[in-house]
Amino acid sequence: MTASPGGALLVFAVLTPVAGILLSFALGGRAAERITLALAPIGLALAGFIAFLVARSGAPLVYVIGGLPPPLGIALRADGASATMMVAAALIVPAAAFYARAKFATPDGVAESRGALTFWIMLQAIWAALNLIFLGADLFNLYVALELLTFAAVPLVCIDGRPETLAAALRYLLFALFGSISYLLGVALLYGGYGTLDIVLLGERIAATPLVWTAAALMTAGLLAKTALFPLHIWLPPAHANAPAAASAVLSGLVVKGSFFLTLRLWFYVLPALPMAAPAAILGTLGGCAALFGSILALRQPRLKLLVAYSTVAQIGYLFLVFPLASAPAGGALGWSGGFVQVLAHAFAKAAMFLSAGVLAEALGHDRIAHFSGAARALPLTFLTLGLGGLSLMGLPPSGGFEAKWLMLRACAASGQWIWAVPILGGGLLAGGYVYRILAPALADGVVEVKARPQLSRELVALGLVGVALALAFAPEGFFEFIQIGRPLAGGGAS
Amino acid sequence: MTPPILAGLVGAALVGFGLYGLICDPHPLRKLLAFNLVGSGVFLVFGIVARRGAAAGFAFDPVPQAMVITGIVVAFAASALAVALILRLAAASGKVTLDPRAWTKRDDGGAR
Amino acid sequence: MKDVLLVATLAAPLAFLAACFVRAWRPRALGLQFLAPAPGLAAGLLGLSGTPVSVSGLGFALRLDPPGALLLSFSALLWIVASAALWREKAPDARFGVCWLLTMIGSLGVFVAGDLVSFYLLYALVSLPAYGLFAFSDDPEKKRAGAVYLAFALAGEAVLLAAFALLAAGAPQGVGIAEVMAALPASPYRGAVLVLVVAGFGMKMGLVPFNGWMPLNYRAAPIPVAAVLSGAGVKAGVIGLLRFLPLGASMAEAGEALAILGFVTAFYGLAVGLTQRESKSILAYSSISQMGVIAAALGLGLAAADSGAAGDMAFYAANHLLVKAALFVTIGALAARQPLWALALAGALALSLAGLPLTGGALAKLASKAQFDAGWPKNLATLSSIGSAMLMTHFFTRLVSGDAAKDAATETPAALARLWPAVALGALLLPWLFADNPGEALKLDALWDGLWPVATGVALALVWRRLSVPQIPAGDSIVLYERGFARLMALGPAFERADANLRQWPAAGVSLLLIVLALLAAGLEQAAEKVPFR
Repeated sequence: MTASPGGALLVFAVLTPVAGILLSFALGGRAAERITLALAPIGLALAGFIAFLVARSGAPLVYVIGGLPPPLGIALRADGASATMMVAAALIVPAAAFYARAKFATPDGVAESRGALTFWIMLQAIWAALNLIFLGADLFNLYVALELLTFAAVPLVCIDGRPETLAAALRYLLFALFGSISYLLGVALLYGGYGTLDIVLLGERIAATPLVWTAAALMTAGLLAKTALFPLHIWLPPAHANAPAAASAVLSGLVVKGSFFLTLRLWFYVLPALPMAAPAAILGTLGGCAALFGSILALRQPRLKLLVAYSTVAQIGYLFLVFPLASAPAGGALGWSGGFVQVLAHAFAKAAMFLSAGVLAEALGHDRIAHFSGAARALPLTFLTLGLGGLSLMGLPPSGGFEAKWLMLRACAASGQWIWAVPILGGGLLAGGYVYRILAPALADGVVEVKARPQLSRELVALGLVGVALALAFAPEGFFEFIQIGRPLAGGGAS
Repeated sequence: MTPPILAGLVGAALVGFGLYGLICDPHPLRKLLAFNLVGSGVFLVFGIVARRGAAAGFAFDPVPQAMVITGIVVAFAASALAVALILRLAAASGKVTLDPRAWTKRDDGGAR
Repeated sequence: MKDVLLVATLAAPLAFLAACFVRAWRPRALGLQFLAPAPGLAAGLLGLSGTPVSVSGLGFALRLDPPGALLLSFSALLWIVASAALWREKAPDARFGVCWLLTMIGSLGVFVAGDLVSFYLLYALVSLPAYGLFAFSDDPEKKRAGAVYLAFALAGEAVLLAAFALLAAGAPQGVGIAEVMAALPASPYRGAVLVLVVAGFGMKMGLVPFNGWMPLNYRAAPIPVAAVLSGAGVKAGVIGLLRFLPLGASMAEAGEALAILGFVTAFYGLAVGLTQRESKSILAYSSISQMGVIAAALGLGLAAADSGAAGDMAFYAANHLLVKAALFVTIGALAARQPLWALALAGALALSLAGLPLTGGALAKLASKAQFDAGWPKNLATLSSIGSAMLMTHFFTRLVSGDAAKDAATETPAALARLWPAVALGALLLPWLFADNPGEALKLDALWDGLWPVATGVALALVWRRLSVPQIPAGDSIVLYERGFARLMALGPAFERADANLRQWPAAGVSLLLIVLALLAAGLEQAAEKVPFR
């Protein structure tokens, strides 16, 4: 494997936020906010340019660190999937940062606070870790990136220091640690078997031996724990519901996608040679249960943020349907596209919904759904965002959520796997139920007391994010070809 | 009994103890210790892998050792973060428990 | 020219919708929105004859053919009248206005959608935003109607999505409606598609057993809203069946099953409607019954491989569109004053649905003649005409007795009430301009064929008045569904307990281990005879 021209961009994509972190440490809390916001256009430009290069060459972009190629050295590799995810991260992280200014900015004349500094540094750390996860081509390197992501996410959960947020953060951290150690054990076994951890080399060499199956089981379970797939969602609802809105948006929109992305990498890039039917069925079953169970619980939550958090549990379930659908001999490409659109649609829609929930909680002084009567007239833009985000969660057109459902259902039909249509359609119906719970009272005739007018700019940030989720419905055919770039043939040779 | 097998057995035992702690011990500090036990077991596996020389053809493969060192650093950082959280939690509430039900009563949906 | 108008059919209401989001333009945009359906009306009128036109772009495709054009022009006309009247004096608030425009876009758009995704989008628009036209309220009965309506609409959407996925899977070459329908007769999923299509659109048309939402909806809706929903909205289901039943292909069993379902709905609607006291409920059950007749005719068309059934039923539905909307306006217009000539007009309008000679209904009945040509379908169709006459006479007597819904007069815009004679005459006479051969309906035997069932029905209705039949609650089967739903809801706490238990550490830890073991077992089973452990 050799470096490709422009490969150095990959290093910059990871190092830019890292440089931001170091600078923030050196210059203090007042500067951290400005540094984070200044990184936004740079990060977006880098991600966009990398995507452009990948699209132009039609092949992955590779950088070999220190000029030492795998198996001994470590490579960074950007294919269609990773470039897409990087662009998504480069849109959502800055949006959350811009939104968070109202809460964590430290203007001149105000004393710097530890919370604000922590927030900005951890936000940049999440960005760096995500980029490394999307680009990493070495399984151990990815382990480190995964841990970085967790360590950056945990402090965001408990940034306000209330005991329940500390407890939520601790649950998150401890459970995630067991997940990562399970992953690490799998990595050790793979190294013992093949003497390399490079994804491409492993993908070429691996055969279906008991050793590989053991490693795959351990790594997958570890990643599931970090993704909070049902029934391992022990930590997600309290952590995502208690974090500040900007943090919840990043945690729910992007952080869980990091470990999900690695699960995709593992099965479709490292282990494409394995017969996937049985493990894919297990993952699909868990995903289907998650979609139904999470939606039912979302129906019962009294608070908006908890409802949105349980909706994340459900939507993570949808993501895992990509395993049986994309590995099937027929319709695999449809399943892969559907899964990917679902990742993106959920990332944008959910980030927008969490930001809106934050606006709402600040404006009303609470987020109890039972007291929303008439709130839509007081906060029309916020409820427009919630409604459009809900549209995507329900999978109604025109939205990315619909596009995902449509592709996945067609994949179900093409491969004859009817059973997965049940969670896809049933989960959509239940999502309709919980979106109705938010919107119906809000649009009714009651009158709510608005304690503080929300800032228009914050409402617009959320609306912009949900706009991206809707725009995914119009994704051109070329986009689906783009996310296939660099993907080996899955399921033992079927496409 | 060759050293790799002995190391493997010890590693397996450590992982087993750790898993027991994960599942059965309610206290977060003990869970953290359990995590460290599992971690030690996994690092031993890396040691065996290094000893076997893997596919690289060396008598001793240095790469897994580099990984173990990195792993230890990561585990240490994780432990430090967890201990800091436990201390903050104890200072803020006077109790240290992971039971979600212990915290739901204060969950009033008020503004954050 | 046609293609420009076709695009403008959707673009014009969309432009008005966009203008609503600019605060300064909003009052003007809402006030003038009666202009929004005008391009649709023009496109519909131009598209009545000639070859179908198609336009596509942005991943969407539009297609206008004669059956769609007929329904499009009548719907557009209804929307123009209703919008103009409503905003002239009522000036509803912005959330209502936005929902109104969204429903309008969907209602006009379904008739011209050319591919599966466009159709699905526009169908969702005609279904879901309509919730906002009657249910933004704290009145429990309206909230109930809204929730029930939405539940059926969402369930219909889910069923249709499954149907469309199957249609797309059967037609690898594209998702245009013409393409997938061409591939359907040879598709292995044919049977499943038919069931899902009938169930999905049946929920919109109120076919048994999915009929319960309709009476609740129309009772909760103000009269102009009930007029557009019963007139234009429900026809989205009809156009769905027209588009997605393979009418040219011979599918005898499926067709007969649909015909039976249609007739069951037709008579069920009549029977329950006769026990109702509220005028709006009676009209709702009459709609259910009429939709049943359409489904039955389409079923028979399917069984006989009669591709002409689409055009015939489009005409039947178009007549129902005008008459039913006009009847809702009648409730409001005659709530206060009932001069004799007005009663005569109202009576003619009501009996038009039963096929009274010289009304548009007679032409509609004639249009369905090809399907109900002989045998049991013919007898059942005649019987349903008699039943319709009974039901409409029942409606008329309730109207005359003057205890219409107390707010019927206030919720009807005064302009619409003043213009009611024109509306009613229009509904009676407009179909004559669009019929293929109106002369047929003036022949003596046709007149007699139309007259005697109506006369019989009216006479029977007068007997029926003497009987005291207990009233079936509006929405009939819905009461059972609600009870079942409440029982489902009672399971909620059990799920919460399950969640609380699963989120305990021991459970989560064991789950983690079990997942490892399950994946391992799945893999090792497959690898059993492969290389042993190295």
